[in-house]
Amino acid sequence: MTPATKSAASTTATSLTPLGVPLGRRVLDAGPVLALVLMVVVFSVISGRFLTVPNAGSIANQASILLVLAVGSTFVILLGGIDLSIEGVMATSSLVTVLLAHNDRNGLDLGYFAVLVGAAVGAVFGLVNGLLHTRMRIPSFMVTLGTGAIGIGIATVLFGGQPPRLLDDGLRAWGTERVAGFPRLLLIAVLVLALGYLIQRLTRIGRYILVIGGDEQIAKLSGVSVPRYKMYAFVLSGTASGLAGAMASTQLGVGDVQVGSGQMFATITAVVVGGTALTGGRGGVLQTLIGVLLISVLANGLILVGVNPSIQRSVQGVVIVLAIAATAWTQRHRLRVIK
Amino acid sequence: MTEPGPLAGASAGPVLELRGVTKRFPGVVALDDVSIRVAPHEVVGLIGENGAGKSTVLKILSGVYQPDEGVLLMRGEPVRFRGPRDAARAGIGIVHQEQSLVGSVSVAENLLLGVEGRSVRGGFYRWSELNARAERQLAKIGSKISPTARVNSLTFAQRQMIEVVKAISVEDHAHAEPVVVFDEPTSVLAGEDLETLFGQIERLRSRASVIFVSHRLDEVLRVSDRVYVLKDGRCVAEREPGSVDTKELYRLMVGRASSGQYYREEEQGTFDNTVDDAEEVLGADGLTLRGRFSDVSFSVRRGEVLGIAGVVGSGREDLCRAIFGAEPVDGGELRVGGKRVRFRVPADAVRAGVGYIPAERRFEGVAMGMSVAENILLADSSATSVGPFAVPRRRAALVKEWIDRLRIRTPDSGTDVASLSGGNQQKVVLAKWMSSPKLRVLVLDHPTRGLDVGAKEDVYRFVREMCAQGLAIVLLSDTLEETIGLSHRVLVMRDGQVAARFDAAPGAKPTQVDLVEQMV
Amino acid sequence: MMSTPTCRSRFRRRWAMRSRVGLACVGLVGLLAAGCSSASQDSAAQNKPANPKDLVLVQSIRSLSNPYHAEWAKGGEMFAASVGMPVQTLTDEGDSQRQLTQIKQVLASGKTVVLNADPNTTSDTQAIVRAVQDAGGFVVTQWNKPDGLTPAQVGNSWVAHIGFDGNTGGYQTAKALFGAMHNTGGIIALQGILDDVPAKERFNGLQKALTETPGVQMLDQQTAHWTRNEAFQVTQTLLAKHAGQVKGVWAANDDMALGAIEALRAVGLAGKTPIVGASDAVPEALQDIQAGDTGYVATVSTDAYWQGGAGLALAYQAATGKFNVATAAPGDRSFYGKEFLVTKENVADFIKTPTPADLAPDFANPLARNVGPLQ
Repeated sequence: MTPATKSAASTTATSLTPLGVPLGRRVLDAGPVLALVLMVVVFSVISGRFLTVPNAGSIANQASILLVLAVGSTFVILLGGIDLSIEGVMATSSLVTVLLAHNDRNGLDLGYFAVLVGAAVGAVFGLVNGLLHTRMRIPSFMVTLGTGAIGIGIATVLFGGQPPRLLDDGLRAWGTERVAGFPRLLLIAVLVLALGYLIQRLTRIGRYILVIGGDEQIAKLSGVSVPRYKMYAFVLSGTASGLAGAMASTQLGVGDVQVGSGQMFATITAVVVGGTALTGGRGGVLQTLIGVLLISVLANGLILVGVNPSIQRSVQGVVIVLAIAATAWTQRHRLRVIK
Repeated sequence: MTEPGPLAGASAGPVLELRGVTKRFPGVVALDDVSIRVAPHEVVGLIGENGAGKSTVLKILSGVYQPDEGVLLMRGEPVRFRGPRDAARAGIGIVHQEQSLVGSVSVAENLLLGVEGRSVRGGFYRWSELNARAERQLAKIGSKISPTARVNSLTFAQRQMIEVVKAISVEDHAHAEPVVVFDEPTSVLAGEDLETLFGQIERLRSRASVIFVSHRLDEVLRVSDRVYVLKDGRCVAEREPGSVDTKELYRLMVGRASSGQYYREEEQGTFDNTVDDAEEVLGADGLTLRGRFSDVSFSVRRGEVLGIAGVVGSGREDLCRAIFGAEPVDGGELRVGGKRVRFRVPADAVRAGVGYIPAERRFEGVAMGMSVAENILLADSSATSVGPFAVPRRRAALVKEWIDRLRIRTPDSGTDVASLSGGNQQKVVLAKWMSSPKLRVLVLDHPTRGLDVGAKEDVYRFVREMCAQGLAIVLLSDTLEETIGLSHRVLVMRDGQVAARFDAAPGAKPTQVDLVEQMV
Repeated sequence: MMSTPTCRSRFRRRWAMRSRVGLACVGLVGLLAAGCSSASQDSAAQNKPANPKDLVLVQSIRSLSNPYHAEWAKGGEMFAASVGMPVQTLTDEGDSQRQLTQIKQVLASGKTVVLNADPNTTSDTQAIVRAVQDAGGFVVTQWNKPDGLTPAQVGNSWVAHIGFDGNTGGYQTAKALFGAMHNTGGIIALQGILDDVPAKERFNGLQKALTETPGVQMLDQQTAHWTRNEAFQVTQTLLAKHAGQVKGVWAANDDMALGAIEALRAVGLAGKTPIVGASDAVPEALQDIQAGDTGYVATVSTDAYWQGGAGLALAYQAATGKFNVATAAPGDRSFYGKEFLVTKENVADFIKTPTPADLAPDFANPLARNVGPLQ
């Protein structure tokens, strides 16, 4: 009996770098970072104003809220789900926060506690999302689309035709003041990022979310309570959206139903462009940071460079498609069925 | 007698036993009164052909299935597993053929998934403790893999190592010596990795019992203390490697003599290889698909049946899919009618005259919900259309012709095909392809699977008729018997390459043992 | 392992049959319903003066979450109360498809519809008025309509279209802005959705004012799609891009101007940089103009209460025969409504909410604010 010949399905993966990570994968994980560096270089060459402190502050201001939203969404996307209720949750939390703080509509003056309630409102939305998704087996995009609409509805009722103005100076200062040229809200964003990273690396919630996203079957067979951790992910995302709604209110000075308009697209794009796969199990909070920076720098840069407003959206779209295509390139054989 | 202490295992009786286990599924008996014993520190091999029942035994051991009759005993006590966790708790660890690791997290997390215990306190991971535990487990087999490495970044062989570690670590929870089951572990290993695996199995002896399931006879004989042979759901033999030769094992694996009559061998045409210049209809030179098969060459002539034999993983299924354009090839040349072709999608193959009857007819063969007539006309309606317009009369006539020819039993041509019996559905699939006038080559993938004797006979008759009309056929069959009986020539594949070619002219057919020798 | 094919496939077959039958039934019912509703409308299609009891009052606007439309809706409600009827408010959230569907649903209800609509985009107007024409209702549209299309071309159901000359609003607010800048310096402009007619007209007005005022230059212009938070983000970037040079901000509507103010505030320029919004006159803007501490200088009011109330009143009068559409002059069916430049001088008049008594004369004579036929 001849010994088994070396089979065609050989044991080695593609060539390995010293760290043991296949070379192909390595280059792609660095993709978003390279893209970001490239973009910064290109924009600063074309526009002298790009690398100035005021502009950096402007980017930071936009990126702060986006980062908070994106960190929250990262957990849901790591699971393989998606949270489309961002704008609705922001709307409700914005109204709730302003109406509870010192405002021009009623006599309440709860200060920072109002922000806490706003975030809690987001958490409740997340809870509802999680329950409907896990108990009733409704796909996450449908559930969150629905709760998002409910959020807009509740906010509209609270709105009552005219935006309540936020008169609490302490809270307003968070949205308007700068520290060394950088907006105060950036501090909150960085805090949320750090918290998110901690959760992802150190806690069971974070690790199990990664496991479920990697292979839900195996997780289930190993005794992981999959519904419970899915719930946690949605609660995290909802809380982040609630906080972001409160943050936006301090920026704009009002409780507004439209306070989150455009953020949903930006958030999901940021997460995906950063390298977290929509299919789940790959990516994380740090990757999302890069994605947020990419999106913010791109939007800012296009204006600075003077790209015609009517084609800005198209240019953004093209850049995003390219970025995602580059990330998905290695996956293309495995994902035989594209939906 | 058992000694007190964390690891009990010095008892004299078998550590694991299947006694009289029977498992039935609708239409087939997967296991029939199977009894297997594993003594402590023993390595037991389990061999058998495809479909012999090996995987059913494994599923029962892992708790995915429950036996219909008979009992499973661990250390003399009857046990009932409701799922993989029960089996793990009882001390059975399985090293799977398909990966059971989560790629997105680290080695340590995979090893301790679900059993982190005190290494996660208050929801927070104590990485140093977790990694230390994982390292201890990895040390059991002497592995140098870092516990913090992400599983996605490991090679296949390394991942399998982790699977072994995972399987062994059931001992920490069962507080007993584990039974480690290897499910076809070597099908993708070679050389150094193979030796490492065998070394591990030897090391395992001192602290575990092992069941080694494989179709690779030489390997099983090398590591096992005893070998069980399964065939058609029954345990037909139990031998010790020293006292049996491979030829006898093969014989035990494949069994009965073939019946030439059944396969209508008298109708099998002959080809005189030296004189005949019957045109080649399908040919291949050096066909390669990375990871599946390499350097496959063959030639099929008009009216010829080429049978391809091989076990799971030999690459024969992938080869057939490649011929049909369902898998793109990486290298080599494929010819239809002498002309070089390149199939990117099955539609290309259909256009070139290659048809494919799939193994899973329910999913890939008939369109459920559509009628018999619609199904028959599915592949190629050019014969019954004028330009883009279908000609109803021509269609009806064609459908009727096939229903008669193949003796398809259906109330009428408008009946939903889902209501037909398996055999008749298969005939509808055949008719679908046969009704295309362009057809030159038909690839049959397990064409008689699940059919009763009568239906099988119809299929055989049909094959002969088609050959007589000049069609070339590539045949993959469940049983060697069928392969040998129907084919003019047989190609044996092993590990992705052509291991042997046989001529199978009537009266000079190779035996099953000849084939099996080359297959495993 | 084999599953049982026959049971499941039989079930599947039955289900397939059932769904086919079900679909056919639904289709049949749909056809019948369409037939019935059109049949019942036939009598109304002749536009004979209808009995108020057979009328249903409807207003279709973008949403209730912006103050402008909220005021519009209130105006409509006030009119409805004045004739003792309820009014249905449809909000489409900027979704053209939804607006059309909602209107069609009401039209299918069987009663004669009296509709005051703010079509989402220019292309939606035609679909809306034709749907009303087919159903024999009465509609007044405002703001957006295709250039060549006039009410007379469609029929008597399209009572009138009220436009507002964005050129005037854009021009007047620009002039007010430049005045506050002492006619020197650079400005940035925030546009609405670039495709909208009002956005284009207002921008034209701005540009006309620019050519008349050589001391003022436009440093940059971007679109913020009518929304506050986009204006906030865009303005931030523009302020960084033209740091130190921005002496004034022109926005095509108040919401965007209010967003821009917050961006100015973030760099300490609020109150120091004059800013105008070329339309809407939302309460916040009016308050800012009155208080004077944020730099808000002017806005333009089309009087949303009037738009909601008088627009509906005109449609109602057509339905009850008081306004004879068939014999009306073209200039009364397609005209510009009156706009008011609001500055510190006259802001007090606009801050207060009008009472039903204030609006009664306009309900009685909706055409009073006709300042000229549409070009």
